[in-house]
Amino acid sequence: MQQYLLTILILLPTLGAIAVAAHGFAPYRRETHYRWIALAFSIATFALSLLLLGGGIGEGAANEFRFVQNSSWIGAIGARYHLGVDGMSLWLVLLTTLLVPISILSSWHAVEKRPAAFYAFILLLEGAMIGVFVSLDLLVFYLFFEASLVPMFFLIGVWGGERRIYAAAKFFIYTALGSLLMLVGIIALYFIYANQVGGGQGTFDYVVLFNALQTGQMSIDARAGFWLFLAFGLAFAIKVPLFPFHTWLPDAHTEAPTAGSVILAGVLLKMGTYGLMRFNFGLFPEASREWAWLAIILAVVGIIYGALVAMVQPDVKRLVAYSSVSHMGFVVLGMFSFTEQGMQGALYQMLNHGVSTGALFLLVGMIYERRHTRQIDDFGGLSKPMPWFATILVITSLSSVGLPLLNGFVGEFLIMLGMWTSDTLNAPWSRIATMLAATGVIWAAVYMLWMLQRVLFGRVTNEKNARLNDLSAREIGLLAPLLALMLLMGAYPRPFLSRSRASVEQVRERVASPGRGGTLAVIEKP
Amino acid sequence: MLRYIIFAPLVGAVINWFVGRRLRNETVIGLVACGSVAVSALFAFMSAFGEHGALHASTPTLDHLWTWIEVGGFRADFGLAMDRLSGIYACFITFVGLLIHIFAMGYMHGDKGFYRFFAYLNLFMFMMLTLILADNLLLMFVGWEGVGLCSYLLIGYYFDRKEAGDAAKKAFVANRVGDWGVVLGIMLVFFLTGTISFFDKPATVSGAAGGVESALRLIGAMPVDPFTWGAIFAGGITSAAVLLFIGATGKSAQIPLFVWLPDAMAGPTPVSALIHAATMVTAGVYMIVRCSSIFTHAPTAMFIVAIIGAATAIFAATIGIAQNDIKKVLAYSTVSQLGYMMLACGVGAFVAAIFHVMTHAFFKALLFLGSGSVIHGMHHEQDMRRMGGLKKYMPVTYWTMFTGWLAISGIPIFAGFFSKDEILWKTWSTESIAIPGAASKILWGVGAITALLTAIYMTRMMVMTFHGTERFLEVAAGGQADEAHAHAYDEGAKPHAAQADSAGDRPRHQAGESTSTTYTDAAAHGSNATTQHHDAHADDAHIDNDAHDAHQHHGTHIPHESPWVMTVPLIVLAVLSTLGGLVGVPYALSAGAIPNYFEHTLEPVVAHAPEHGSGAASHGAAATSRANETTYGATGTPESHSTAAEHPEGAAPQAVGEGVAGGVPASEHTHDPAEVRAERIFSGISIAIALVGIGIGWTLFRRRPLLEMPRLLENKYYVDEAYDATIINPLKTGSREVLWRFFDVSVVDGIVNGIGRGVSQIGSAARYMQSGFVRSYAAVILIGALAVIGYFAYAAYKIIPFMR
Repeated sequence: MQQYLLTILILLPTLGAIAVAAHGFAPYRRETHYRWIALAFSIATFALSLLLLGGGIGEGAANEFRFVQNSSWIGAIGARYHLGVDGMSLWLVLLTTLLVPISILSSWHAVEKRPAAFYAFILLLEGAMIGVFVSLDLLVFYLFFEASLVPMFFLIGVWGGERRIYAAAKFFIYTALGSLLMLVGIIALYFIYANQVGGGQGTFDYVVLFNALQTGQMSIDARAGFWLFLAFGLAFAIKVPLFPFHTWLPDAHTEAPTAGSVILAGVLLKMGTYGLMRFNFGLFPEASREWAWLAIILAVVGIIYGALVAMVQPDVKRLVAYSSVSHMGFVVLGMFSFTEQGMQGALYQMLNHGVSTGALFLLVGMIYERRHTRQIDDFGGLSKPMPWFATILVITSLSSVGLPLLNGFVGEFLIMLGMWTSDTLNAPWSRIATMLAATGVIWAAVYMLWMLQRVLFGRVTNEKNARLNDLSAREIGLLAPLLALMLLMGAYPRPFLSRSRASVEQVRERVASPGRGGTLAVIEKP
Repeated sequence: MLRYIIFAPLVGAVINWFVGRRLRNETVIGLVACGSVAVSALFAFMSAFGEHGALHASTPTLDHLWTWIEVGGFRADFGLAMDRLSGIYACFITFVGLLIHIFAMGYMHGDKGFYRFFAYLNLFMFMMLTLILADNLLLMFVGWEGVGLCSYLLIGYYFDRKEAGDAAKKAFVANRVGDWGVVLGIMLVFFLTGTISFFDKPATVSGAAGGVESALRLIGAMPVDPFTWGAIFAGGITSAAVLLFIGATGKSAQIPLFVWLPDAMAGPTPVSALIHAATMVTAGVYMIVRCSSIFTHAPTAMFIVAIIGAATAIFAATIGIAQNDIKKVLAYSTVSQLGYMMLACGVGAFVAAIFHVMTHAFFKALLFLGSGSVIHGMHHEQDMRRMGGLKKYMPVTYWTMFTGWLAISGIPIFAGFFSKDEILWKTWSTESIAIPGAASKILWGVGAITALLTAIYMTRMMVMTFHGTERFLEVAAGGQADEAHAHAYDEGAKPHAAQADSAGDRPRHQAGESTSTTYTDAAAHGSNATTQHHDAHADDAHIDNDAHDAHQHHGTHIPHESPWVMTVPLIVLAVLSTLGGLVGVPYALSAGAIPNYFEHTLEPVVAHAPEHGSGAASHGAAATSRANETTYGATGTPESHSTAAEHPEGAAPQAVGEGVAGGVPASEHTHDPAEVRAERIFSGISIAIALVGIGIGWTLFRRRPLLEMPRLLENKYYVDEAYDATIINPLKTGSREVLWRFFDVSVVDGIVNGIGRGVSQIGSAARYMQSGFVRSYAAVILIGALAVIGYFAYAAYKIIPFMR
């Protein structure tokens, strides 16, 4: 069973999508049935994904891939269907399977147009996202990476806001452009391996490539390393998005339907940072080290830039979108510190951002459903008619600005600590980078609290806001798990951090001290 | 056991938030809130004074809950510790907190958000106690940010009022600026020592192999940093100290981050008393004393602390003299007194700083609660120009505040005298290497002038409020009396009519919705004011039957004394303000008749600043003094030697006296007669200053309470305006116009869209493809993709050796 679990996790949502679509042809179909089918499949997926926690990932001292399935796929070119989970991808898979049912629930009444297609796309997207995080074969990874684009393109383009077409196209072109570069890189790696090790037979298998590089069987010269780093790096940097490749994000986020924004911010952006950490660091450690300074500069600029631009946004959703640029800057900063604190913090911050920003988009969606506007100026004094909404929005915002005992703080602190003690940059510069990045925490307070004040506090100035209904039981229910996670991850991060430690450490040793660190271990049969 | 101290209020907060919300029963909510703090106080006193109490133990009491963050070598526990310093703090915080909770039951009576208020207040107690009892820097930071959050929630408690929201945000952001320093300071301490714990935690307690080492002890064993400006940027102990101090300027409202505290008065008065006077704002002082071994190893930082403290003290005192809002006077007074505490820290008088924190908690909480009682009695009027003669109506409030007045002014026996006098004396006589040359004399001079100003503005406040003519009777007089306050007066013919606008602190009664709108309407319509106003108050009368009775149908409110729940805390605090200083009477004044308990208790847990003269002069905890002896001479740079040389007399007599003491804590055992004589002379000077100040205040304001004050002072030196013009507005405009509209939208998107347009124009050459949106985009994508793949295939061909 174990070796098929990941395949089941990928296929179950896909089956769900087919079921939703098939239901469209059923004679007894009802518009309301689609969402129930989708919810059932996504919850089943989530329940199954919890089995991953029992797999012993991260409990040993060394890193190991578990739940591995490895079989030949396209024999002629050596492409394999190779899946596996380690401490780095474990939490991202769980984040995905958690956020999908939540976003389905959030669309309960919001989606009236073509519900069958909507829910089918969300489930397809889920399968693709899980696939991205568990692929151990570069070609499979690439396919899932691209496959995740298509449903999201339609989610934005069909169910989005006024400028949905522009936003969808921009999103697609930006990210597809990036991933095409990666495809070229993957093919190049295939040939390098074929040339040096395989005797003409190349491989896309990440584990094989990693170990060949680690043992010195295979080597990538500096110039090729640079270009390959760039090809992969650009694809991921656009996805993150790292300044200055971020301009697709505000449009996509703002125009996407709530569920789309939640998944986009919660999961899709993490593909970028996950990819950087897994593939760029794992395959091109020298180039990663060499170009770390650039990534750090862009990350720090992004942190401050994103926050300052968020501060002056008139649209709540756009504000949250720019805040993502700032938060994801922290993630990149932490990774490139090449310290255990920084990289663990970065991984943790990916989860935090998924939880907090996901919740923020849900909350914005909830008032959008009521008022059909996202302009901050249209609100004011909402805490009077909607006290529960106000309470949850305040807690979520505080989590987003990194208040201690809520989740955001742990990640940001570890990232800054890692950068502070990092030797990636020459002595004073890592400190200076940290000091600049730390101002992001101040800016976050400014833009978030200012937004809170204008949306929630003061008198109700607009008549339309005076009679708004507070959150329904469904709405509170779908936010509750996220709130619980904010508290749990803030007060007791150990179970999360301990499981990812070995995986992160291995990558860190690989990238920080060449030649150290072991080869990748794959547990095929438990 | 320590865990009960912090979690009791948290439980209270949770109960009130979820249960109190539905119950809407003030008695139950109040009992839960006060009861939880009482439990907390009980455990705090037991832990401090009990059998193995922290106040007489030689090692701290530890309570390890769980390991919070552990990554790589970094470890932060959720662990509590009570040593003598945190023991004293925990006791007075829970006790004063309990009194303020009780007072608030009366003050907030009838407010719609009663449950919310007490939930926040209890949450605050949880956070504050976490700050105090944390056994490491990062958990202290949890409390540090947590109290900031509660402060934010409580300042903005009247959330429908814009100025409350603005003030809350300002407080949080100003604190965040400071927190930036704290976070970096913590990292630097970790970098220097590899740990962030305050105490040594053996493996049996912490569960960590080999136990957890104390960062403070490790730094205490390091060489003292040289006394140079360069040390600030060297990334050593001095940098850490300066970074931590940046945090303290935020939390403890020092220059340049003090601007939030006066605005914070928009919160309910019990909040001002608890958070913005007695407890939270002294957290900066607590942190510095807690980290005293870091600061004593960073003379440059100590010097900065002393200068900022003294400057803040005098700066705020001058502003305080010109304020007309009773709470603003107290707010600036608080800033000024915090400056004293910082000054004490800067000159190495850590015990005196904490002593002043404690006495200040008593008398400033008293004064704030007294002002709350006045505001309550005056039906939410805060402008002292409309008070006067209240002594007759509110005798209990008057006489209790009277003791507070004498205490803060520095009249002997009253609590503030001993602590303030001690700070001034320690400033004059300091031998810390951090205070070069005549600086100690200048700092003393600033402190002495501040003491004079303090006595003057407090006398002014008391005179304007309680003495003289009963100006609240002069219905329309307000309009002419002050043009400066035009905002409040212009609209309303009747003072009440203007109330809705002018009252900075106004509990919203059950009928609050209609009341407040009625007020606003009344202000607008003027002539209708009286009738509408009466309607509103008739509503109140049903709910509010013990406080507001008998006054409902007067055109002018007659002030009344507050109910017992409010006056009893006042009386208790008045007793503490009178006698509380007796626990720390210096030897020079008591001649040994009363032991100096306070110094006895605290002396062993604070570090000692290295002093001029020689290493032998340093005394205190063995580790610290050994470190100082061996390292001071060794690391003395030319600068520090030259400063030592500049005044070789170095207050020579004392140096001898202290030198003899070497290693013995407290001056209890060595009382050099010359030193005692000098200290007595300075006490005499302090008393004279207080009396002169009260005299000046009395003669100036007794006859002319509305004496026009300098505009510059009344407008607070225009600091807020300057910050707006130089920092806040440029940031906003720059972000909006340059970063967003220009760079993001025009430059980056311009390039992207330009490329997109170029591609789509190529595509549109084949016009038949433009049959629908999605398809045309698909075409664009396809072409773009092919182009890119083609290009990169070509590039790859060139790069990859195999293909060449």
